[in-house]
Amino acid sequence: MATPPSSDLILLVHQGIDADALVHHVRTGADGAIVTFDGCVRNQSHGRRTLYLDYEAYESMALAKMGEIAAEVHTKFPIDRVAIAHRLGRLEIGETSVFIAVSAPHRAAAFEACRYAIDTLKRSVPIWKKEYFEDGAVWADGELPPVPQDTQARKSAS
Amino acid sequence: MSSVAPSSVKPSIRVKVLFFGRLKEAAGAAEEFVELAPGSRIEDLFAGFTARRPELARYRSSLVASRNQEFAAWSTPLDSGDEIAFLPPVSGG
Repeated sequence: MATPPSSDLILLVHQGIDADALVHHVRTGADGAIVTFDGCVRNQSHGRRTLYLDYEAYESMALAKMGEIAAEVHTKFPIDRVAIAHRLGRLEIGETSVFIAVSAPHRAAAFEACRYAIDTLKRSVPIWKKEYFEDGAVWADGELPPVPQDTQARKSAS
Repeated sequence: MSSVAPSSVKPSIRVKVLFFGRLKEAAGAAEEFVELAPGSRIEDLFAGFTARRPELARYRSSLVASRNQEFAAWSTPLDSGDEIAFLPPVSGG
C-alpha cells in the first residue's frame, strides 16, 4: 500500500488530542483552506445516558490503516496536508475522540477530503469503543471492514 | 526439516493470534500462540478456537480476520510467524 507523504501526521494518543497542533501542522503558505473534523463523546446513545466511553485499538494495524487513508486522500483530492489523531482509553463526555485536519489550496477539496477521511476511518480502522451506561456497558455497534475476496487469497492457498 | 528436530515431532507452524473488543472478552484472552499443521488456513485456526470455546462460533459471521495487519479472507493460508487477528465490527471515530 502507498504510504502517506512524510508531511502528514498520523497519531494514536492516550491523553487529550492537541487539536491546535494538528491544525498548525497542516497549515502552510500554499493553502487557502483548512477543514477540520472534531469527533467528540456524546452524552447519550439510543436514548440511554452515556457515562463515558472506553476506546481500544489494534494499534499497529490502526496506525497503518490511518496512514493508508491519508495516502488515499492525496490520490483522490487536490489537497496539501493531512493530520489524523485518534484517542484511546477512557474518554469523558464532550472530549475529542478523533480529530482530522486537511489543508488545500481551495476549500472544496479540503471539505471533501476531510469527509472522506472520517467516513473511511469509521469503516476500516480497527478501533473499538465500549459505551458505559448507568446500568451496564456494551460494545458499540460497528461496521465490518471490507475484506479481500477468497479468490484474491494468496495463490499458495490452492 | 531441520536436522535438530526430534523425529517424533510433526512439522508445524506457529502463529500469534490476537483478539479485540467483544471477541477478546468471549475468547478470555487478548493474545495466544497457536501451533497448526502446515497448510492450515485462517478458517482452520478459528475452528480450533470454536472447538475449545463453542460460544465463539456465533461471532463467526460478524468478524473479519487480518494477517500481518492486512484484512484477509478466511481461506488465507498461514505461515509460521504470522500475526493473525480476529476483529469485530469496528466502531472508532
